[in-house]
Amino acid sequence: MTMEGPVAGLLRSPSERPGPAAELSLLVDVGSAWTKAVVVARARGRWRIAGHAAQPSAWGEEELVNALVARLAEGADRRVADRLAELLGTAPRIACHTPRRAGRIGLAAVSAELSGASARRAAESAGWMVAEAATADDGRSLVDRLSALQAADVDAWLLAGGFDDGRADQALEMAGLVAAARGASRTPVLWAGSAVLADEVAALFEPGALQAVANPRPSATEEDLVPLRHTLEGLLQQLVEPGGVRQLTPVSFRRAVAELARSTERRVLGVDLGARYASWVLADADGTAESRVFAEGGLSASSLVGPGGPARLARLLPLAIDELAVADALQNLRARPGTLPQTEDELAIMHGAARQLLAQGAADEGAISGIDLLIGSGRTLAAAPRPGQAAQLLLDGVRPLGVTELAIDAAGALPPLGALDDAEIREGMGMLRDDLLTPLGAAVVCRGGHPGQVAMRVTVHRAGWPTTGPVELRSGQLQLLPLGRGQSAELEIELEAGVTLGGPRRARRAQVTVTGGALGLILDAREVPLSMPRRADDRRAVLAGWRDAFAREPSAPPPGDQA
Amino acid sequence: MTGPALHRVRVPRGTVPSVMVGSDVGPDQVLGLHRRASPAVRVQLATRLRVRPDAVAALLLVRPGTRLAEGDAIARGPDGREARAPTGGLLLGVSAIDGTALLAPLGPEEPVIGHVHGRIRAVEDGAITVEVPGALVRGVGGTGEAVHGELVVAVHDPGEELRAAAIDVGATGKILVGGSRASAETLTRARAMGVAGIVLGGVLDKELRDFEAIQRRRREVGGLAGAFGVLLLEGFGKVGIDPQRFGWFKAHAGRMASLFGADGLLYVYDAEPAPGRRTLPRVGERVIAHRRPFQGRAGVLVAELDDLHATPSGIATRMGLVRFEDGRLAPVPLANLEATLPVPPSA
Repeated sequence: MTMEGPVAGLLRSPSERPGPAAELSLLVDVGSAWTKAVVVARARGRWRIAGHAAQPSAWGEEELVNALVARLAEGADRRVADRLAELLGTAPRIACHTPRRAGRIGLAAVSAELSGASARRAAESAGWMVAEAATADDGRSLVDRLSALQAADVDAWLLAGGFDDGRADQALEMAGLVAAARGASRTPVLWAGSAVLADEVAALFEPGALQAVANPRPSATEEDLVPLRHTLEGLLQQLVEPGGVRQLTPVSFRRAVAELARSTERRVLGVDLGARYASWVLADADGTAESRVFAEGGLSASSLVGPGGPARLARLLPLAIDELAVADALQNLRARPGTLPQTEDELAIMHGAARQLLAQGAADEGAISGIDLLIGSGRTLAAAPRPGQAAQLLLDGVRPLGVTELAIDAAGALPPLGALDDAEIREGMGMLRDDLLTPLGAAVVCRGGHPGQVAMRVTVHRAGWPTTGPVELRSGQLQLLPLGRGQSAELEIELEAGVTLGGPRRARRAQVTVTGGALGLILDAREVPLSMPRRADDRRAVLAGWRDAFAREPSAPPPGDQA
Repeated sequence: MTGPALHRVRVPRGTVPSVMVGSDVGPDQVLGLHRRASPAVRVQLATRLRVRPDAVAALLLVRPGTRLAEGDAIARGPDGREARAPTGGLLLGVSAIDGTALLAPLGPEEPVIGHVHGRIRAVEDGAITVEVPGALVRGVGGTGEAVHGELVVAVHDPGEELRAAAIDVGATGKILVGGSRASAETLTRARAMGVAGIVLGGVLDKELRDFEAIQRRRREVGGLAGAFGVLLLEGFGKVGIDPQRFGWFKAHAGRMASLFGADGLLYVYDAEPAPGRRTLPRVGERVIAHRRPFQGRAGVLVAELDDLHATPSGIATRMGLVRFEDGRLAPVPLANLEATLPVPPSA
């Protein structure tokens, strides 16, 4: 599987084989569970991805080199075949890694629903784990709150509460509680509460201990997490990974996605779902990017195995797997993240978990629309056994409204390339641009309409091919049409009343150009977010229908649907 | 043989340590004394200092978090008047609305026990590090508090389920080595009988959650006494303890042990090193499989297949051929296998 795509073609084509003078580089992403390595070779003046491999991180470097040699040996020039291990061992490498440990933060706020919720979201999306949270309305006595905060093992404290236009005495009390719990330790403290209280809160701590940040909840109706998130990201890097921030995968992934967006002038959403971490990067065509990093957002997320988690997941599986088996499988995935689902049931559970995590992340993001390219990274997404599974995970989890091209970072090259310095990242990604992503296809996702009634009509024009459609898609339906990798098509989309592609204007017609991929063109009129029948049998039938639709070869619609 | 393990005992901040670096400690020994805060009292500052409530914060002589003795000055007014602590306690903060200070008197000293035997290596605010000379067994999960007790093997076979009926008063204060599973009922009974902890090959996640829920409810109504921990060695589900490990436990029955359920650790004192595990087994090595359908089964890796092969789930990966102890021969992803290392001969 890892040798499919352009890589295999390169190795089998004698004219493109890396010869004895070939130059090699290694791109390595050391994850908490799996390490991904990509061999980049220059042959006849052009850099290409020559092969890639992935293995549990615990297996070590020597084994990784052996695996790469095994992948390359078949297609490599005979003159270098015997020296591949030596060449790979001495090749320059660009590496990144998952943070060795997550930063732990203690949170104190006035209200669990307002200031506490905003501060928690900002901290969790900046890569922190909230080790202890106390709010003035958490139902505990002040003494219990103090005991809990005293026992918390944290790298930093985050205080929040009060709107900017007024005082909040409770916020001061919570700050005092943290000052008491913190004792003589020199742990840094962030104040992200009422601006008018900043000086008073600072006076509770030794000089220089407290840093004030813009209030994420300046009023009851406003929320802006970005300044706090940026400060928390900086603090995390300074405390937990003081050197080589660029080499941290969440950072390097963001840089790579931003560069991709800039160079292609497209709006790109990248999702990297790992064993421990999940990163979401939304980059605009000008290269500016916002990222959210969840230290507990990967497949080991405690939210999956928490109360009600396994039952929720069992309900969303196309196979009849009971809640007990789902719970055990999820726990085993947490306990041994380097292992693989060997049975179909376990893979279904892992994919169900991935879908759920993506859906959680998408819900935090608000409605996701206007994305030109959605990239899936991380082993679960990028190394799904079939492209259809990867596409379904992305579409079911993220639900990107509008017309979006889907791709996976199959080799795992994006994060290491993002670790290049500013002067090199543009060049590095530019050279490998054709090999970086495996296109899955283009998706048209709409929302609205009445169940069972036509939601949209799509006509597909391809140069040199007869026009397809208009294909009528009823609300709740999913249809795949053939559109090969690299093939372009112009789509005419006509929406019924009440149906939208998520754009700012409620236009009834749209015309867009898309490029195909392994799945072709995916027309998706299912709900956003997905909704399912309540009866278990009906639900499983619907889920199995979707799974089968993604598993089938895309086919042209019956003649009746042709123009 | 690896050196002693370093174990970090978390202690509440503000704990006064009663041990020094280099001192030897036993599992029962008090490592420090901690005084919990009692319900806070409000101390009027603005009135005493004759200032506006919102001016009090600027007049504080001590910061929140300071431990005050009775009579210590909290704030001083512009005219030199002082407001003093009516009782000893922890200053939690001041209110700019009513000009009061929040003072939490400290309760009696409570001992902080490490539940671990060894030598103190570091004493910090919030943690005490102990060098533990015991054999360390790492689990994949667990629950509960730190406990210590004598190790007792409570089942005959590593694949046997630990039944509630097997637990009697003789198990009080002991750490029981069970088998492949224990129900929530068994765990609840064990705790009620005063068992210190249980070591299992596997447990159903649901049973463990039910047990935790029962404990939470009992704690809420105040009917829970003593500590209890569960350590899971192999995985979730009905999974037997690897026979090699089980043999090691049998050989060390009667030794003192410390179990840290939430951290997934067990130290057994005066013991030979426990059988180890290594990822990426080599052909000919004894292996243990993780993940279904072979979870917890032991065998021998007889071959590594060339190239990548697809598992029944469709994932293409490096596979090994394993002859399991029941005679079956099956391909298993190498990532799902661990070599079980033999117990090194004693020095």
